[in-house]
Amino acid sequence: MAMISWTRKSLLTIEELKPDEISLILDTADSIKSISDKTDPIFSSLKGKRIINLFMEPSTRTRVAFEVAAKSLGADIISITGEASSLTKGETLKDTAMNVQALGADAIIIRHSSPGSPLFLSKMVEVPIINAGDGAHEHPSQALLDIYTLREKLGDLKNKKITILGDILFSRVARSNLWGLTKLGAKVTLAGPTTLVPADFKLLGATVTHDTQTALKDADAVMLLRIQHERQSASHFPSLSEYANVFGLGPLSLEWMKEKAIILHPGPLNRGVEIDSALADSSRSVILEQVSNGIAVRMAIMHLCISKCLDKPL
Amino acid sequence: MTLSNHESIDIIGARLVDPNSGIDGISNLYVREGRLYHQKPSSEPGQRIISGDELIVLPGFLDLRTHCRVPGDSKAETITSLTEAAAKGGFTSILTMPDTNPHCDNPATIRYIQDRVNQDSKIRVYISGALTIQSKGESMSPLGSLKDVGVVAVTDCPFTPKNNQIFLNALKYADMFGLVIIDFPQDSYLSRNTHAHESFLSLKMGLSGSPRLAEELAVQRSILISKHLDIPIHLSSISSKGSVKLIKEAKGAGIKISADVSAHHLLLDHKIIEDYQTNAKIAPPLREETDRMELIFAVQQGTIDSCNSSHQPYAEHHKNVEFDLAPAGAIGLETAALTFIESIQGKDPFKLLAEKMSYNPHKILRLNPPSLKDNCAANFTVIKQDNPWIYKKENSFSQSFNTPLDKYKFKHKIILTYSEKGIAYIDKP
Repeated sequence: MAMISWTRKSLLTIEELKPDEISLILDTADSIKSISDKTDPIFSSLKGKRIINLFMEPSTRTRVAFEVAAKSLGADIISITGEASSLTKGETLKDTAMNVQALGADAIIIRHSSPGSPLFLSKMVEVPIINAGDGAHEHPSQALLDIYTLREKLGDLKNKKITILGDILFSRVARSNLWGLTKLGAKVTLAGPTTLVPADFKLLGATVTHDTQTALKDADAVMLLRIQHERQSASHFPSLSEYANVFGLGPLSLEWMKEKAIILHPGPLNRGVEIDSALADSSRSVILEQVSNGIAVRMAIMHLCISKCLDKPL
Repeated sequence: MTLSNHESIDIIGARLVDPNSGIDGISNLYVREGRLYHQKPSSEPGQRIISGDELIVLPGFLDLRTHCRVPGDSKAETITSLTEAAAKGGFTSILTMPDTNPHCDNPATIRYIQDRVNQDSKIRVYISGALTIQSKGESMSPLGSLKDVGVVAVTDCPFTPKNNQIFLNALKYADMFGLVIIDFPQDSYLSRNTHAHESFLSLKMGLSGSPRLAEELAVQRSILISKHLDIPIHLSSISSKGSVKLIKEAKGAGIKISADVSAHHLLLDHKIIEDYQTNAKIAPPLREETDRMELIFAVQQGTIDSCNSSHQPYAEHHKNVEFDLAPAGAIGLETAALTFIESIQGKDPFKLLAEKMSYNPHKILRLNPPSLKDNCAANFTVIKQDNPWIYKKENSFSQSFNTPLDKYKFKHKIILTYSEKGIAYIDKP
């Protein structure tokens, strides 16, 4: 395990993490997973803690994974969705969060369409804030589970070639993965149409290409991203069918890929658009393993941030 | 009710800087019954005497972009708080923008503002009318009727008509009445739903960005239309270095274009939004250091004619929200002139300040600039040099606190503003 102590109360971005801190989360998740694989353990580091899952945007995997993870650590967790909250009555996020804190929350997990909203909340309330996705900014827990899965499959990520293909411009997953993977020494290629893959990402050390074959041929892993309809305000490509033809991962793509290259996707999948249905279910795909790993990784995040004590037994 | 306060004042040994008359030197100034004298008119001393070689006297400033919240949002600002903030910043006149509620697209709203101003203001308030109804760019406002009730300029700031035909005809029609035309050059489509300058920073922060191109396209449109119609157009709040180049070329070709920049754009760049500080979210967005340097150079070289405050007050509950939900705008009346001085490198920024915030703005509005000549109407501002102070938003005269300059330490201080109504502001140490 990395020799570093965890000092953060909140997890807001991957950008702010040092490589050692990323490794510490992954190593903690490893411990949790290996214990869970062998026994049916009872973790209790968050026993008596009350966690609020404040989800202002739709979610299946992330929300449920946080719920399962919190319960697995002994915490009580209550999920609030945007539609079912007083935000629909005009209450501001600031007031919602302060009320949630007044109701005795020990931590808030937030998903919100506004970039920077977890940082905004962290200035308003005292309790730890865990970012579960803020607009097109970051999605730290997703990137950490992606990186965890990649590390599990590929070993040390230094100099490993990871291609992220799809809607990069509007993707918080792409941003968090780019930060995290480059911090761990991986070589990241971003690919997709010119309108959705800004060249400025080269400034973070990424290679940018708009040719799918080039993007796929040397990759050790290919991460596909869906088209973020909810964040696009203008037309960025002619149609979904054209997108699928030019940038979708289909049977032909397999011929371009390395034999052992794996396929990741953060979900939700748009079968037949960014990925051929059969490929999504193939042995190359680690998509469901990502989902399972998401529980251990989120347990690690919550344990480190909320129990505030690395030495506290799980 | 009158707010006139024509107290007699003796200003002894100050430096007078007046681009209108060419005066620049140490002199005494005596204010009696609203007029300025270089010689003491009688042996009677003034009711107030200020002296010192650290004092600079400049003709009163005129702001070309003040967003008035009356009528419509008295939580953000009242005429009293607005004009007191302006006076504290050295402004003896302001030009209000038409984005009130209801809009300044009808004579009744203009008359309402004028009534409030007559009751509550110690400075002159000029009002701009909306070029198009509700500034939607769909149909022309009754520009002749607006002129009749005293509107001096027309603009759709902080928007510009998308439809070129409507824009063209509205400009032709407005010019018939001698109305000054002010354009806020931002392409509506490229800047729509954007929250920052388009850059690596906005990309990293997950914010949709407005590219320089959004401004440059609109600047070029105004330049071409001005040339085509042979009508002067004033471009408000330039932020892009590319716009500066276009304006310089247009002026070189004799096209009747003038331009201003906000003081915030001269001092700050977009890095200030890195922690999603909504008070630094303004329109047009703060751009990069290279833009800032070009804007300063353009001010010094004369490509940019004046500097505005871009004063856009918002109540705390509107600004203290998620970054993309916060409206763009910051207050600036109290700090604009001092911000200008801080931004302009060089030993003597005061002459340039008088030119960019007094003489040129009056010329752009086709008004007689105030002067410090003997026996002129008193309309001036006194700055005390090397008198550092910290600007704190909670001490703001504005009713809103949305400033990106909270806790900024300014080198100099405005200590007196004297408008046509007399003392509008006096510093109480």
